[in-house]
Amino acid sequence: MGEDKKILVLVVDDQADFRELLTFWLQSKGYAVITAENGKMAIDQIKAKSPDIMFIDLRMPVMDGIEAIKAIREFNKELPIIIISSYIDDPRVKEAVSYGISGEFFKGGDFKDGLSLLETILRTHKKLKR
Amino acid sequence: MSSLMWVYVLTGIVSIAIALLLVRLTHISAQVNPETEPTKLKGSDPHLPASERLQRIINEEIGKVAGSAQRSREIGKLITNVFTDELNEKIEQNKLELRQKYESVISRKTENEEIAWKKYKKIVNEKKQTEAVIRSIAEGLVVVDAQGKVVMINPAAEKLLGVSRQDKVGKTLTEDMRDEQLVSLSQGSPDKEDKEIELVSKQDETKKVLRASTAVIENENGQTIGMVSVLSDITKQKELDSLKSAFVANVSHELRTPLVAIDKSLTLILEKEAGDLSQTQEQFLSIAQRNLKRLSALINDLLDLSKLEAGKMEVRRKSMAINNVIQEVIDSLNNWAKSKNITLEKKIEDMLPDVQIDPDRLAQVLTNLVGNAVKFTPNDGKVTLEAKFSDGKKELEVSVRDTGIGIAPEDLPKIFSKFYQCGGERMISDVNGTGIGLSIAKEIVELHGGRIWVESEKGQGARFIFTIPLISG
Repeated sequence: MGEDKKILVLVVDDQADFRELLTFWLQSKGYAVITAENGKMAIDQIKAKSPDIMFIDLRMPVMDGIEAIKAIREFNKELPIIIISSYIDDPRVKEAVSYGISGEFFKGGDFKDGLSLLETILRTHKKLKR
Repeated sequence: MSSLMWVYVLTGIVSIAIALLLVRLTHISAQVNPETEPTKLKGSDPHLPASERLQRIINEEIGKVAGSAQRSREIGKLITNVFTDELNEKIEQNKLELRQKYESVISRKTENEEIAWKKYKKIVNEKKQTEAVIRSIAEGLVVVDAQGKVVMINPAAEKLLGVSRQDKVGKTLTEDMRDEQLVSLSQGSPDKEDKEIELVSKQDETKKVLRASTAVIENENGQTIGMVSVLSDITKQKELDSLKSAFVANVSHELRTPLVAIDKSLTLILEKEAGDLSQTQEQFLSIAQRNLKRLSALINDLLDLSKLEAGKMEVRRKSMAINNVIQEVIDSLNNWAKSKNITLEKKIEDMLPDVQIDPDRLAQVLTNLVGNAVKFTPNDGKVTLEAKFSDGKKELEVSVRDTGIGIAPEDLPKIFSKFYQCGGERMISDVNGTGIGLSIAKEIVELHGGRIWVESEKGQGARFIFTIPLISG
């Protein structure tokens, strides 16, 4: 529980390449990363490892992002969730927002935007927790 | 002498005998009417035929002047015959004239009747033909009167609407029908726009989509006397449309997924997160990334097109300074412009307020306009982005001016249409696109409530201008 303990980020995406890239980027910025390739595995990871924040794609096989967020909110209302949207104005983003998410990262956008979003959310969250 | 006397006597006797015989004969001939009495044989006897009476009168009159009765009779008969012949001839002539007149009247009348009959048959045939046409067209046809009561409904419409003619003629279409969408068919507004009606079939619960094109029927005084609706079943078309949209969305997604992975990989390498790069490595990776961005833009265009067609393009407005969007676009295209030694110039009026815009979408518009400007401007040219107030500060005017080859007058009206690509000089082999960039730009500007247009002369460069209304606040 020391201050130097790395923040744990859960990256959920069915595309292994993207998962790997985002993981590499986050690790290079000093985060610890765990991954899942669908909503079901994401729930297992949350239950097992209690990540601090989660990036989750909406389109996935087995259990998609929306279903996963719904299920996660059943047992965890605290976890900050950033959804990964594949394209601008994906209609499912609206649906996801209604289940309580902290931000939206556009897949085609810059990783830097994703990082600054992550940092902002984590700061806000810390303040709320206090 | 005595013999002469004898001759005289004999002649007298013979004469008397002949006279008696003639009288007798006359008597017999007069007995055509057996009730006629010899004493009454006078010219005034009304029972006798006119010619007989005439003869008698003449006989009597001539008898007064002529010597012998026989002679007088002969003369009388002669005169009577002449008269009778004359008379008969006159009568015959009159009869003939009358008959001819009568016949011509009759024939004229018959002729008219025949014409009328032919016309009637023709009209009946035409009516039957029209009815047959209406009956057999595949499109449903419903005619209602001014009160909204059904006047005519063809079998196709019965089938489409699931109603029967017997039940509907003389009643409003919506009677006994829960579907409120149908109200528009019988009451509808006088606009001639097509309407889409969704019906759920009573039999198998399937959904049917009908397109109703309705027009008001007016009499010669311009009063509305009813409405005619043509119904067509567009269920299949709708299904295909949504299939197509889903397909395009899916394909675009599938195409983009690998592109994002490539782009991210290149970014990580170029930002030296994965270690140092030689200058040449960096140069080639930059080329790869630049072209990848172009490919992504094309795919995005395709996706936008499918949204545009489905009417699903949305704008998510945020309050933002236009300068930010302009600067972002300049930053992203500057390298390309520099490679052609084209200057990207920015002219922003002071004190411009923030505008309610979708920054991503507006950046897309500007990227398209500036991209086109750079494309069509030869080396060492200039592209100017300008933002200023217009229309008495009610709107913001943004323009992109280039020093390029300009646009031919014949291309100007078509330039914002889908898939349109200019011919001639603007068709340079390395300058290509999907041909939908400007139509998407137009759509986005219009979704913001603005207008977009172009001013150009061939060889004089082009200027694209769009406006964004300033929402007062």
